[in-house]
Amino acid sequence: MIRSDIIRGHLDSIILRLILEKDRYGYEISKEISSRTDNRFQIKEATLYAVFQRLEKKELIESYFGKVSKGGKRKYYGITSLGKAYLKETVAEWEETKEIIDLFMEGLN
Amino acid sequence: MKKLKNHVNELFKDVPESEQKNAVIQEVIQNLEEKVWDLMEQGKAEEDAINKAIVDFGDIGDLKKELGINPSVKKDNTKLNLGYSIWGSLLIISLFVFINFYYTPDVIWFVYPTFAVLWWPLTMYFKWLRNK
Repeated sequence: MIRSDIIRGHLDSIILRLILEKDRYGYEISKEISSRTDNRFQIKEATLYAVFQRLEKKELIESYFGKVSKGGKRKYYGITSLGKAYLKETVAEWEETKEIIDLFMEGLN
Repeated sequence: MKKLKNHVNELFKDVPESEQKNAVIQEVIQNLEEKVWDLMEQGKAEEDAINKAIVDFGDIGDLKKELGINPSVKKDNTKLNLGYSIWGSLLIISLFVFINFYYTPDVIWFVYPTFAVLWWPLTMYFKWLRNK
């Protein structure tokens, strides 16, 4: 599995992206990340909840309780307009970062 | 499922009590239960499923940091302290001046205690500057 400390700095963006598509709850997000990456990257749940706390504190996402499922009430997260703006910014930043890192990482073989 | 709840409560044991903490615990338990159901549907025994959910959960160091007591912003009192020290020292100095000229008008000695007292507002002034 890939070293997670490189991805760590982008977890906020990854989760915002998933919530942007539609409102989701915790377990759904961790499942979605695993399936989209073919299990090459798995987020630890503990990390996930830390990200939720952080994003909610920054008002980039908001939560509400959904319908009762097998266990109990699911807590759903939706993106705020501030969150959308933030995500857009990080995407632009990532493009830039990618280009810069590529300058040094590519063409070595 | 009781084992799951116990485990989660154990994880969060040293996080200070708060509404936020309880909300997170509820959320975590709910999601973990769903994961366990999911794993059981995939053919795992309940015991195995619970164990896997617990192992996968990972380290909650980061989460604890998010939930920890927010260090409340310490109020900046230096300006108030400076003002207090200035008024206080003025009062003390004028007392010395009064005693000096009232009882011993021939000898001017109030300057010495004045210098001593001035350390007080000077110190507060320094603290105020450093804090700015």
